[in-house]
Amino acid sequence: MKISAMQLNINGKTVNIEAEDNMPLLWVLRDILHMTGTKYGCGIAQCGACSVIVDGTVMRSCSLPVGAIEKSMQIETIESLDANGQLSAVQEAWIEHQVPQCGYCQSGMIMAATQLLKDNATPSDEDIDRAMINICRCGTYNRVRAAIHTAAKNINQINLTEASK
Amino acid sequence: MENNKEKRKLGKWSRRAFIGAGGLVGVGLVVGVGGYVYIGKAIKKYSGRDMGDGHSLNAWIRISPDNKITLAVARAEMGQGVTTSVAQLIAEELEVNWEDITVMHPQPESPYSNTFLSTNRRSNPFVGYDMMDKILAFLPLIATGGSTTIIDAWDSMRYAGATAREMLISAASAQWGIDRSKCKAENGYVINMDTNEKLSYGALSESAAQYKSDKLPKLKSRSEFKVVGKPIRRNDIPAKVNGTAKFGLDIKTKGMLYAAVKHANKTGYAITSINNETKILKMPGVKKVVLTQYGKALVIADNSWRAMNASKALSVTEENDGSDPITSAYLEQELNRIVNEEPIATKLDIGDVGDTISNLSDEEKLIEATYTAPYLAHACLEPMNATVIIKDGKVESWIGHQASSVAHTILAESTGIDKENITINITFLGGGFGRRSEPDFVRLAGAAAKAMPGVMIQTIFSREEDTRNDMYRPGAVCKLKGIIDKDGNAKSLSANLAIQSVEQNALKRIMPAMAPSPKAAKITLEGIDNQPYSIPNHRASFGDLQVPIQVGFWRSVSHSQNGFFNESFIDEMAHTANKDPLLFRLSMVQGKPRYTNVLNKLAQISNWRTKSDPNVFRGIAMLFSYSSIVAEVAEIRKVGDKEFKIENYYCVIDCGNIVNPDTIKAQMESGIIFGLTAALYGEITWKDGSIVQSNFHDYPMLKLKTTPKIHVEIMDVDELPGGVGEPATPPAAPALTNAIYMATGERIRSLPLSKLGYSFV
Ligand code: FES
Ligand code: FES
Repeated sequence: MKISAMQLNINGKTVNIEAEDNMPLLWVLRDILHMTGTKYGCGIAQCGACSVIVDGTVMRSCSLPVGAIEKSMQIETIESLDANGQLSAVQEAWIEHQVPQCGYCQSGMIMAATQLLKDNATPSDEDIDRAMINICRCGTYNRVRAAIHTAAKNINQINLTEASK
Repeated sequence: MENNKEKRKLGKWSRRAFIGAGGLVGVGLVVGVGGYVYIGKAIKKYSGRDMGDGHSLNAWIRISPDNKITLAVARAEMGQGVTTSVAQLIAEELEVNWEDITVMHPQPESPYSNTFLSTNRRSNPFVGYDMMDKILAFLPLIATGGSTTIIDAWDSMRYAGATAREMLISAASAQWGIDRSKCKAENGYVINMDTNEKLSYGALSESAAQYKSDKLPKLKSRSEFKVVGKPIRRNDIPAKVNGTAKFGLDIKTKGMLYAAVKHANKTGYAITSINNETKILKMPGVKKVVLTQYGKALVIADNSWRAMNASKALSVTEENDGSDPITSAYLEQELNRIVNEEPIATKLDIGDVGDTISNLSDEEKLIEATYTAPYLAHACLEPMNATVIIKDGKVESWIGHQASSVAHTILAESTGIDKENITINITFLGGGFGRRSEPDFVRLAGAAAKAMPGVMIQTIFSREEDTRNDMYRPGAVCKLKGIIDKDGNAKSLSANLAIQSVEQNALKRIMPAMAPSPKAAKITLEGIDNQPYSIPNHRASFGDLQVPIQVGFWRSVSHSQNGFFNESFIDEMAHTANKDPLLFRLSMVQGKPRYTNVLNKLAQISNWRTKSDPNVFRGIAMLFSYSSIVAEVAEIRKVGDKEFKIENYYCVIDCGNIVNPDTIKAQMESGIIFGLTAALYGEITWKDGSIVQSNFHDYPMLKLKTTPKIHVEIMDVDELPGGVGEPATPPAAPALTNAIYMATGERIRSLPLSKLGYSFV
């Protein structure tokens, strides 16, 4: 496989890398860029530990060849959420509900939840069932569900306050 | 030189021998064993490395001049919240602001030994230890497992906090020239009660470190607790919501390399040669191919993906001792043969079970059943890995390991470098569950680093290698016989188990000197021989399967399968007796209030006695494990033929005194889901010597949608604490299968349920 120079847009920054076209984004993030928030769990799009958001869609970065990503595409990783020093509403809710145990799946869970709430401001339990298909070996699922409901409430609250200004 | 070293060693041992013989027994003297020896003083016997500025008051506590408190917690953080709960115990007595505390993981040094894990005796200095206990207590076993952290820490860490506080008070009273009784400690200050003057711990720590506390202070009573018993937020969670928490795989540095492990394809085989090294070396980024002396190959490359790809492309020759390749059919046949033969050991023998069977009366009912359980993988979400560099005769390592002292020993072996020159940095663990107490991945990481000195190498298992090279929960077959007397009471119960010995098998790898023969193993029948039920004729025995499958400690160990066998069969007995399964259990724990209270509370929170919906069914199970009692009710809705929605789990735990109710609750949730995952889907099988399963598509996990609501009630009991990391797992499967029996009339005697045609939505 040929090695190409590529430009990626990660968390709003342009990044230059060299890699095989078929190298999964996961390993570009982790081993080339040393952005380790995104995790390796299975490598076959089963567990969701490697979830990132690409142009508003949750993707399994372990199964996304970096050569398939255009430089115009916006890649968002867990590192982007508190980039301005402020935790996102999802992260706040995660702390409030003390969701993580070992924590290994949590970046992926939080990215999936973040996009879910962007797509659907008031997800029902069924919506959460459908969107949150990540594996948590520690079994934090009920707290994930509760935290998503809390985050939804808080985001909507903020939006209401802002709208009324 | 050599001689001096020898003398020093001897000196250490003679001092220890003195302490050992110096008698705890009877005299309330404050010489402890294990960590206790180190509590009352700022000792020289630990490095205090990475504990920051300031002065150490003992091995656990360092205080900086600006009043920052650093606590050493030598227990692995794998999700249980120990870096918080152990810190709560220290903080309670130290009298500091919770916000001022930082927790770090120290080097594997003697003070941090898990005395309870090595001796199975609570490390209470007023409890007499026999000589063997004392010897065991001095083995530096710095390990996290067996749900022992809080049991071990409950007294010792509160004393660590209290003695440090007393040393600070001594320093303050000397400085003020007043009596100690005029001083009190609060929020990181010692206060002069006459003048209200304050001295900060930071200002006092240097002089306080000169004091020695020669008697153990009185600990607070429960009613005085400010930190213990409170749902303090976990100190590890902030880093786990923004991706900054460092797991083993997250150790990165410029120019590092990655060694992907390739094991033999067949279980019990070793790789004896690599057949395509030249080709592999030509693959992109590949630096080196290593056939280790351990029968495993490593491909070292410049990133994980290239290393794993290249290791998958290896062509190897593998050999074993000539025995037939393992198959699941063979294992099944052997377990069934063994369970029908004379057992090798009987661990529980009350009354005369044989007599009750041969003299069965017409009014009595004899029931018999054979249960089986499959082999299971741990499937930690973070695959096994360790990062090691050998440079200038020193080793530095980063490992998510449950037993830093084991990792230390193994790295010394595999790198050939003295322990004094090895640093062990324990990272967060992406799941442990017993798997990360094993030495295998550490050993290979040592070998990888040795193959390329001067380079930091991260040794990694792909998910597939991880699944197929685990130390499994052993499969088992159990034959049970029970007799119900004419009044519907359990008159007799016997269980004979056929299984590989986890204790022998795992300890041979982890601590070879401690590995018992299968016959002498203590834990094989746990979940059957340590349960609370009073049955007048009661026997438990086992036979031993020897096959070259590595079996290991899997969350709740023997309780995991034995709990399923025993609690399912107790349910069978209840139904044979025409009794309500909860009341039947209650009748067998009379006079044991902690059990009756748990069952009554469970009946209440699960609305056990009321049934409203004809499609909803409930099952119950209760187990004693790791010094705690957990009882659960599974509530399931029938939605089709053999199709269910698991709607609710009700869980009651009595773990004695509570350190952090929220982490206990989280462990109940986690333990139940772990047990459910196994009950629904878990099975490792062998075909032609190789393991069939490889990744989450064929070794599936419970997901959010299928997870029931979990309702946890923690009993408030002023008793010594029990463990919480494991005890919720064993009742999960039998509670569910007992509910399925209510719904379908089919008694589930083997797992997983998916294999029996059941599905769960
Ligand atoms: S690592 Fe990508 S889905 Fe598991
Ligand atoms: S928190 Fe451990 S895998 Fe989810």
